[in-house]
Amino acid sequence: MTNRSTPRFEDIDVGFELPCLIKGPLTTAHLMRWSAAMENWHKIHYDRSFAQEHDHLPDLLINGSFKQQFVMQLLKDWAGAEGWPWKSSFQFRAMNKVQETLTVWGRVTGKRRSTSYGLIELETGILNEHGVESTPGQAVVVLPYRDGPPLPYPFVAEE
Amino acid sequence: MPLLSPEILAYVGVSTVTQFACDPVEQGAVRRYAQAIMDDDPNYGADAPTNTPWAGPIAPPLFPNHAQRNALGTPDIVQQRAHDPNFDGTGGQTNGLPPIEPLKNFSVLNGGAQFELYRYARHGEKVQVTQRYAQITEKTTAKGSMILVTVEAEFRTDNNELLLLARRTLIRRPA
Repeated sequence: MTNRSTPRFEDIDVGFELPCLIKGPLTTAHLMRWSAAMENWHKIHYDRSFAQEHDHLPDLLINGSFKQQFVMQLLKDWAGAEGWPWKSSFQFRAMNKVQETLTVWGRVTGKRRSTSYGLIELETGILNEHGVESTPGQAVVVLPYRDGPPLPYPFVAEE
Repeated sequence: MPLLSPEILAYVGVSTVTQFACDPVEQGAVRRYAQAIMDDDPNYGADAPTNTPWAGPIAPPLFPNHAQRNALGTPDIVQQRAHDPNFDGTGGQTNGLPPIEPLKNFSVLNGGAQFELYRYARHGEKVQVTQRYAQITEKTTAKGSMILVTVEAEFRTDNNELLLLARRTLIRRPA
């Protein structure tokens, strides 16, 4: 929704790739700022000796809760103010360590018509600078038809 | 030897009464949150445009998922466990769900989540949540055994309007 116009359902084809979102490099300051913003004091994100010596992790970890914000931002920004980032799910399959730069991506895998709007199915993920995928997922973004009504807000599912 | 015990499985189905966030969605908290996730969406500011479906300042989509904080005067787990070398910093915010006692000293990792978003929280609203332990299973990998704890949560406004449904998986491993 950040100053981006909403695409119409008819204008999007399977295979379309969303503009990627780049985050990073994510430093200890980024991780501490996120921990403070949500008041979560899990030490594996800011206490290196605890992370490595107690929890046997390779380094400070980028929070899963942090990464999920980026996926939602990707979907929200692409949907624009007239679309709706309805569903998002993902697994944190690999760790992302402090200082990594993350590329958040999405690709259209399917389209479904509902009565008054269209549903865009996507696969999503987060790659680090080495091309390692850490957060595979799926999403559904709702888009209006070209000559259709505005989406209901709050969103109401028709299916 | 399996990690999963009847004592742990007894938590499946345990749910909370509705918990209200101790603070409303306030401008400063939204600003800090938006700056932390580096999302400078103009809809998050006090001077947000009003010609949008939500008609004014809102919080980021997943803000309700992190809205539960420890109110003043409630137990301070950071201080309570300050001398415990095994304390990992977690456990203070359970959104009303009782911590799973046998897993007290297990490490915690975020395994993933599913979200369904229905509406943004507006500045000034209070977020309420109900949660339950939906599933607890054991999984064995090359790195050893782990417990997977799945928690379902429903977030609403103080006017009972649905904001967000969440289902998240926590990975618990022996420390």
